[in-house]
Amino acid sequence: MAVPLSQMWTVATYVLKQRLRGLKRYPLVLMLEPLFRCNLTCAGCGKIQYPAQILKKHLTLEQCLKAVDECGAPVVSIPGGEPLMYPSIGELVDALVQRRKYVYLCTNAILLKEKLEQGVFSPSKYLSFSIHMDGLREEHDEAVCRDGVYDKAVEGIKAALTRGFRVTTNTTLFDGANPLRMREFFDEMMKLGVEGMMLSPGYSYSKAPDQEHFLRRSKTHELFSRMLSNPREHWKFNQSPLFLQFLMGQRDYECTPWGNPTFNMFGWQRPCYLLQEGYAESFRDLMENTRWEQYGRKSGNEKCQDCMVHCGYEATAVDDTFSNWKGFKDTVVATLTGKL
Amino acid sequence: MTLEGWVPELSESLTLAEVIDLAFDYRGNTTVVKVDGTEAKGYIFNRSSDAPEPFIQMFDVAGNGPIKILYSEIRNIKFTGRDMAAGNSWQAWLERKEREKAEKAARLGTGPA
Repeated sequence: MAVPLSQMWTVATYVLKQRLRGLKRYPLVLMLEPLFRCNLTCAGCGKIQYPAQILKKHLTLEQCLKAVDECGAPVVSIPGGEPLMYPSIGELVDALVQRRKYVYLCTNAILLKEKLEQGVFSPSKYLSFSIHMDGLREEHDEAVCRDGVYDKAVEGIKAALTRGFRVTTNTTLFDGANPLRMREFFDEMMKLGVEGMMLSPGYSYSKAPDQEHFLRRSKTHELFSRMLSNPREHWKFNQSPLFLQFLMGQRDYECTPWGNPTFNMFGWQRPCYLLQEGYAESFRDLMENTRWEQYGRKSGNEKCQDCMVHCGYEATAVDDTFSNWKGFKDTVVATLTGKL
Repeated sequence: MTLEGWVPELSESLTLAEVIDLAFDYRGNTTVVKVDGTEAKGYIFNRSSDAPEPFIQMFDVAGNGPIKILYSEIRNIKFTGRDMAAGNSWQAWLERKEREKAEKAARLGTGPA
């Protein structure tokens, strides 16, 4: 597994501290969306369907940092929109690194080489570019609805690796994904030299134009089992092995919607990164006044029944690692052996 | 199906609260008609129906805001702006790609006779 030790240690001590404080709900990864504007219009994306005045807006640097401090999570993921289009992205990342936050800058990498050449970023163990890659060239370009994006992303990955940056990939899988092609894709990413890969099934955003290609739960188990059974030794995943086992159907977890709280220009999104049921004015308001019992599979909420997305379940897997010896042992064994 | 262009007719079977919920889900600008006869155009991004005084929040068409409007101040909401979630589907992209391939093949004279 590819999460660096220092990052594992930071997350582990953070989780243990929360548990010692007796906190039942705590954030693990802040999803900070500085803007919704993007240079792609992927059919599966529910984040970019806004009128022009909203797409032109973005958070100020101060608003971003206030949210980071309010939330306190040790990891900050910056999705969007396309964060490399955010005018203050360099300053934002610098400020997060100074705060010793582990930053995942989630980008389609179209602008990455250009930004690196401009010297917008400096390498740091706290900063990882998380490149959106939904498969090999054909599958990726189809997923993002534009030809040539895969090659551009590979160019960005190479440029970042050459300059000494941490680079990971994030892959969303939809119905119809070919497990054998995905295994080839994993080989290809490892050959490029990325530190690790992140996988998640897609979620059927009610506003995403493409509703037919999202995975149902049983299909998710089947796809991930076929993809990840007998993993090759050189494959590295930058995520909890227990979460991957959950996707393969080897574990049953309940959602932890507060694990990845989301902040954007509308406020703190209730209840999670995927559902938009309203906005809270403060992080405290989000945590204290969201009706959490209405979400997750056990709640019976139909929007949650097929969801197995990382933003709801990876925090559950991490919590499982540190809440009992079995979870800890299973994580250590999977990490050391690479077996899932 | 899109609500674009819809002007709801409020009745016992279609309440203002239901229209507000639909407007909150709508990915386009709307026109909020207030009880005092004035109108506010923009994107409704939040609604709180269980607050002591239920309200909506919106950014106007110039992006200013957030503007807070109480439910009690609203007479109706018209779905006047373009529905940004409609169209541009994956299917449409695949069809366009197929069309482009066929056009290219026809130009090169390699397409079906």
